[in-house]
Order: sequence, then structure tokens, then C-alpha cells
Amino acid sequence: MNIIIVGQGKFGTTITKQLVAEGHDVAVIDLKREKVVSVVDAYDVMGICGNGASCEVLEEAGAAKAKLIIAATNSDELNILVCLTANKMGTEHTIARVRNPDYANQHQFLRNELGINMIVNPEFETANEISRIIRFPSAAHLDSFARGKVEIASIRIHSDNPLCDIPVYDLRKKTKAKVLICAVQRNDDVFIPSGDFVLKFDDVINITGTRSELASFMRQCGVYKHKVKNVMIIGGGRIGYYLAKQLSDTGRNIKLIEHNESRCYNLSDILPDVTVICGDGTDQDILDEQRLENQDALIALTGIDEENIIVSMYAESKGVNKVITKVNRHSYSILNDIGLETIVSPQIVAGNLVTRYVRALQNSAYHAQIQTLHKLVNGKVEAAEFIVPENASYIDIPFKDLNLRSSLLIGCIMRNGKIIFPGGNDVMKAGDSVIVVTANRILEDLHDIFE
Amino acid sequence: MNYKIISYNIGRILLVEAALLILPAIVSIIYADGVLASFAVTIAALTVTGLLATKKKPSNKSLYAKEGYIIVALTWVLMSLFGALPFYLSGGIPNFIDAFFETVSGFTTTGSTILSNIEVLPKSLLFWRSFTHWIGGMGILVFVIAIMPKTENSSMHVMRAEVPGPTVGKLVSKLGASARILYGIYCGLSIIQVILLLAGGMPLFDSICTTFGTAGTGGFGILNNSIEGYNSLYAEMVIGVFMLIFGINFNLYYLLLMRQFKQALKSEELRCYLGIVAGAVIIISVSLITRNYTIGSAFRYAFFQVASIITTTGFSSVDFGTWPIIAQLVLLFLMFVGACAGSTGGGIKVSRLMILVKSGMRDIKKAINPRSIETVKVDRQAVEEPVVKSVSVFFATYIIVLAISSAFVALDGRDLTTTLTSVVSCLGNIGPGLGSVVGPAGNFSSLSMLSKIVLSFDMLAGRLELIPMLMIFTPYAWSRKYN
Repeated sequence: MNIIIVGQGKFGTTITKQLVAEGHDVAVIDLKREKVVSVVDAYDVMGICGNGASCEVLEEAGAAKAKLIIAATNSDELNILVCLTANKMGTEHTIARVRNPDYANQHQFLRNELGINMIVNPEFETANEISRIIRFPSAAHLDSFARGKVEIASIRIHSDNPLCDIPVYDLRKKTKAKVLICAVQRNDDVFIPSGDFVLKFDDVINITGTRSELASFMRQCGVYKHKVKNVMIIGGGRIGYYLAKQLSDTGRNIKLIEHNESRCYNLSDILPDVTVICGDGTDQDILDEQRLENQDALIALTGIDEENIIVSMYAESKGVNKVITKVNRHSYSILNDIGLETIVSPQIVAGNLVTRYVRALQNSAYHAQIQTLHKLVNGKVEAAEFIVPENASYIDIPFKDLNLRSSLLIGCIMRNGKIIFPGGNDVMKAGDSVIVVTANRILEDLHDIFE
Repeated sequence: MNYKIISYNIGRILLVEAALLILPAIVSIIYADGVLASFAVTIAALTVTGLLATKKKPSNKSLYAKEGYIIVALTWVLMSLFGALPFYLSGGIPNFIDAFFETVSGFTTTGSTILSNIEVLPKSLLFWRSFTHWIGGMGILVFVIAIMPKTENSSMHVMRAEVPGPTVGKLVSKLGASARILYGIYCGLSIIQVILLLAGGMPLFDSICTTFGTAGTGGFGILNNSIEGYNSLYAEMVIGVFMLIFGINFNLYYLLLMRQFKQALKSEELRCYLGIVAGAVIIISVSLITRNYTIGSAFRYAFFQVASIITTTGFSSVDFGTWPIIAQLVLLFLMFVGACAGSTGGGIKVSRLMILVKSGMRDIKKAINPRSIETVKVDRQAVEEPVVKSVSVFFATYIIVLAISSAFVALDGRDLTTTLTSVVSCLGNIGPGLGSVVGPAGNFSSLSMLSKIVLSFDMLAGRLELIPMLMIFTPYAWSRKYN
């Protein structure tokens, strides 16, 4: 598929990397020549230097024949203009990154009246992701499927964990919870475990199940964390704003620490239920003064990765129950090793959304559309949700008779609101939503899971 | 430095060379010329080495600019060493250094030969000798990128090191697809030339070998006196036109295929290139007419020879060593100019000279008004300052390499013309030099072994545009300190 990506900032390069890995023909546009050169050196793409909203530049990038354009410059208005221009020039689909909260309520308008197919707001999506984790703090990460009915949670196995050194098939006997382990990360490797896979200390496991089953599972393994009531947010940028709003709307006590005084006044104006503190949230004295140790959760959202990491480590040492760290440069994989459990990156969150859209675009000609897509374990594992179409060839055939690929697992099947962990005799029916977990493969259609 | 990925990549290319050698082996079977064994041994050696190097896929796949350059440089050296084996083993060229020189000359599309009697060589060796031109013309690494189903993201480093010109662009967003388009155009043009030559009554084997020499802008003929031996005006015109065609930036053919005729014809480099050709043809024709050539034959020889030298092919249709000095001097200048960037030709390249001249003009203007700021423009687009600078550095390096190499060749004690033009010709990948020894009627066999090694280096340096070959002789490439 021919895709044009305008703007090669952090978000732009993240989606460039993901889409190139999926085998698309990508052309990138950026104003800065050094940026274009470094992207062309690193990925197999065509680079064009110039203003992405100018017809000349767009024509050079092949906008007339492109299937999709993604506008990811740091200006919302330019992004909208890029999409409008390219659309008129013949590009079929358009995605714009629009981040300004002023436009947050007019996404519908942008879609319907201006014809921009998708609006991405990485900060808003990141806030969504964090508030989901806050609602279920036991998991290091939580991704939901089937509109939140099924979730995938990841937890790290500590040495005192009862799961240590037991094979997977003993798991359900031991815990009596209806969950399924669908991927295990051990050092740099990932495994899609079979029944005799033995869990070890320091593995990170990904488990699927409903929220309540997951909670009961965690309780029995002793990794359950209590509900989060008091939250401290460091940094009152866009994510901080969206998050404070979402969390305070659900009745939690929010303390938002922001450095810039005028921004503080602004925040207290638009967030009446939030305690806004003006001060340097990375200063230990201020953290202590604001009773960090009494908080259930700390969320570090400053613009500087290093400060977020330091603050998070300090909070961990103070015994804060749940610590969430925002990191822009997600390429460093060592962060998990230094004890930071939950790391969130806006680029990855938004990148996954775009990738899902692109895949759905690609197989709209087929039937089984991808509904949800999550990348786990640094993107090495994918969990994808599909709806089984009518009259598909694999309907009503027991799994034991279907020739499934290896390194792939059916996480669960949702039928009429009920969750099924399929065994050999179970079948797929039309309208089911099926969650498939796979390592090192790209799934576009349910057909891809068979040999 | 990641040695494993370097050896893995080189190993893969050696396997490709083994596969390519099957073609001359088939020729050997067809003509039953008795050198099949030496091809078989070479193929076996390449396969074993290649398989050993590619046995294990390296886990660390990091490949940066430095590795890219080193892969390219070492590939070309190793490819030539193995490619020389058939000549050496079959006894066609009994001395290994000579065989190496001949193969390097083939792969780098130079066309300088050490053979005094070409026609006695078995057919399959003649075929391999010409085939190396065709492989080397577009570049073997580009070929590998073209045939691989999925290119690794870092292949751009490799492509940049092998494709000539001050800047390298892609035709389409995927490198593999770009390489396939380039090879598609290359094959298409080659086939057209073979058909046209056949139509003029040239035998099939000769047509194919001559086309290989033309397409790669190499210049190995299979007759002792090159194209002169066919004595056919038709063949000369076809070859002359095709030499010029292969000397044009291949990106322009892609534009033509995309029906963007205007944009293709607007290319400043193309106009400049054709302008230089026209100017040189006129000067040489006039100088020949004063030597009592008829207007027709003066134009015929001048056109063929100008096309042959500016594209750095090096075919000869006449012994231009006997021409007036002004004509020879024009040819010597053309040796420096070379073909267009992104073509199969060698030399300094027209686009570099354009940038060089324009930036020179700019500096003169700046001397007159020191506060003036002006960008160097090609095709109405500003050339970035780093490129302008790198072009000047390239030119300076070119001259320095030329000077040092000439000093080595001078140890042979020949006359100035021979010494200087043999180096100019090898560094520019042209083929024949001037004078009686290395001129179109002579050959390089009488030079000393040292000279042949130095000239082999020059040919490789010229083909890969200096940096890769110079790099492997610097401590920066190998020392941990500069990693």
C-alpha cells in the first residue's frame, strides 16, 4: 500500500518504522533535510524534503496514487491542511494528528464535514491507557478487547510468587480462576506457552480473562494491588490535563504538580476538582512535602524522560503502590530491568492505533476485519481481535480438526457476552469475536491463523 | 565493527557470483572449448566460501555506513580475485596478477587489457570477460538488492557506496523495487542493442559480447582491433548511440517510462552532457578534416570516439593515437569528464563538474562582493553546501590519487604520455590511454607487476568513487578507536 507520512518527529518515525516493517511502500516528507536523510538511512522509504501541505511536494510524493496519508507534523492546523490538500489530489484515506484540547470536541466535525478519516490524539489516547491501568492497578499493563469485556494484563513474576516453577497446565487447578497465559517474556525472548511450559522467576506473563477473573487470579497469586484512590500526577501538559480530568471524573483525589505558574492557574480553572500544586515536581523536597508516601499512585508525565524515570524510582523506593512512567524514547529496553513496571509511551500507543487502521484498510476487501490490535512485549507479540464473518470456511469446525499455525494461540472467544477458552472440541461461530495472540507474525485476517 | 554481518553479506554475493559463472560455463559446453573444468573449480570454490560465510545468520544485524562501505570495497576485491580464477586455471592468462588485472578491468568496466592477442582466447573466457562488464556496470550489490525479496532497512548504505554520483536518490519508496527497475531498464536496453546489432549482420556471440561491453560502458572487444575489426558503419553508429544512452542517468529512463517527458528532457546534466559531446565532436571533426579526412569519415570517427571516451567505454574504431594533438587533448579532457551520475559510466561525472564550475563562479562573485550569498543550483534546485563541499573534496582526492599512482607507474621509466594516461584511463574506467604503449592499438601487458597492481587499485577506486577503496587502507576503518 502506498502511504505518505508527513512530519518525522517522534510520532512520525514510530509509525514509519511500524509501517515499513509491515511491508508498505512509504514516502516520508519533512521540512528538515537532516531528518529526512536519517530516516531514509534507517528505513527503506523514499524521502522528500519540503512542506507537506504544498501541492508540489505532495505530487512528488505521489499523493495522486497514494492510498493513505498520515499528517504528523507538530502543528494541528498544518496537519488538517495536509489531509485536505492530499485528499483533493486523490489520496484515498487521511489521518491527521490533532492534539490541541480546543479541537477535542470537534473530531466528529473534522471527520464528517472535512472528510478526514481518522483523528489521532496521542496524548488523549495515552491518558486513556493510563486511566485504564489505574482502574486495574495489579497489572503492569492492561489492554482491552471486545469493548472492555476481555482484557490482557501483564504481570512480572517475583521470586515469592506461587506461580514460580510450575507448568502452565497446573495453573488453573492452583488458582481456580478462568484465565489463560498467552505470552511469556523471558529476558529478550518471547514464548507462546504450551501446557508443559514452566514459569520461572522474573518472567513477564500476559494473561487474558475478564476483569473480575483477572482480579481473582491476582489475589490468589498475591500480586493484587488495592484500588487507587489518591493519585499524584507530575507534569500538567496535555496528557496530565486529560488524565486528571478522566480520573477526577471517576471520583479520585488528584494532586497535579506543575512547574509553570500561569499554566497552574489555567489548569485550576479548567479542572475545578483537582488540587493543582505549583512547584517543581521532580524536586524531592516538594514530593515529600506533598506527602508522596500517602499516595496510591504516582504518574510521571514531565516532558523529560530522565526526570520521569528518576521520580518514578524515588516513588517506588517510597513504597507508592502503583508507579507509571511516561517515556518518549521507548527504544531503551533496559527500563523494565531497573524496576519500573509500567511504562507508557504516547508514540507507541498512537502508533498501534494507526497500524490497526492501516491493516483494516488493507483487508477491507476480505471479510474478517481486525477490531482491536495490541502489541505486547516491546512489539514482539501481537494480540488481535477479529469478528468471525458469516459464511467463512472455518465456521463450525472443531479446533482439533483445524490446522493452526505454531507459535500462535487463540486467547479466547467471546460469544453473546460469554467468554470461552477454547479446547479441541470448541468451534468458531459467525459473529464471535476471537482474540488471537501471535509472536513474530503479522495477522491481517482470520485466515492467516491456519497453515 | 560488525565483522559477522560483513562476512555474511560478502558470502552471499560470492554465491551470486557462483551462479553468474554458470552462464560462461554453459557457453563453454556449447562451444566445447575445453575450459569447462576451470569454471567448475571456480564455481565450487565460490560456493564453498560463500556457504561457509553465510552458514550462520548473524544475530547482531546492525549495519551502518562504515560496514556498508567496507562490504562494497571488499566485495569488489574478492569478486575480482575469484573472477580471475577461470583465466588463470585454464592457462588463458598464465600470470595471476595479469588475470586479476584483466578481471578488475572487467568488473570496473574499464576495458584495459593485458592481452596482445585476444582472438586466441577460448570463447567461454571471452564471454566471461565481457560478461564481467555487464555485471559491474550496474553493480553486483544493486543486483543482489534487486533479487532479494525483502531488503533490510540499512541496505541504503550499501547502495550509496556502489551507485556513482554526488547524491543517490531512489526511484520508488522501496529500495528493492528501485533496484529492480534499474536492472529492468538495463536489461531492456541491452536486449534492444543485441537485436539491432544482429539486424546489422553481426554474429550472435559477437553481438552479445559487444553489447555487454557497451551496456557496462566497459570496452572489452573480442577482436584484436576492437570495433574497427567489423569495419561496419552501421555497427559503429548503433554502438556509438548506445554508448551515449548507457552514459545517461538511468533515473531519466524511469521518468520516460512514467511518461514525464518534459521533466526528463529538462535535466540540466543531460543537456550539459549532450552539449559537451556535440562540442567535442565538432572540434575533433574539424581537426580531422584538416588532416585530409572526408567530412563523412571525420564525423564518423569523431562521433564514435567521443561517445566511447566520454562514456568511459573505450571501444576504438580507429587508432586515435595518430590523430592531431588537439583531438587527442580533447579526448584526454573527456576522460576526466566521464558520463552522467547514476549511469554505468565512470570518470568524475558531468554533474560533479557542473557543481564544481558553478561553485567556482560563485566564489569569483563572492570575491568581488564578499557579502553576497548565493546557492549553487542544479535543475533549478539548490545543491546543499555539504554536497558542494564533497564535490570539491572528491575532485581534489581524484587528482591526488592520480598523482600518487602516476608516481608508482613512473618507476617503469616510460614516457610522460604513457605514464599519465594509463593512470587517467584506469582511474576513469576508460580503457585505452594515449601513446603507443597503452593507446588504442597497444595494451598494458608490458607494464611492471607493481604498475598493474597500482592500476588495479585505481580501477576499483574509480569505479567505487574513491571513498570505499581509500577507506580500507586507512586506520580509521579498522581501529576500535574510530568506531
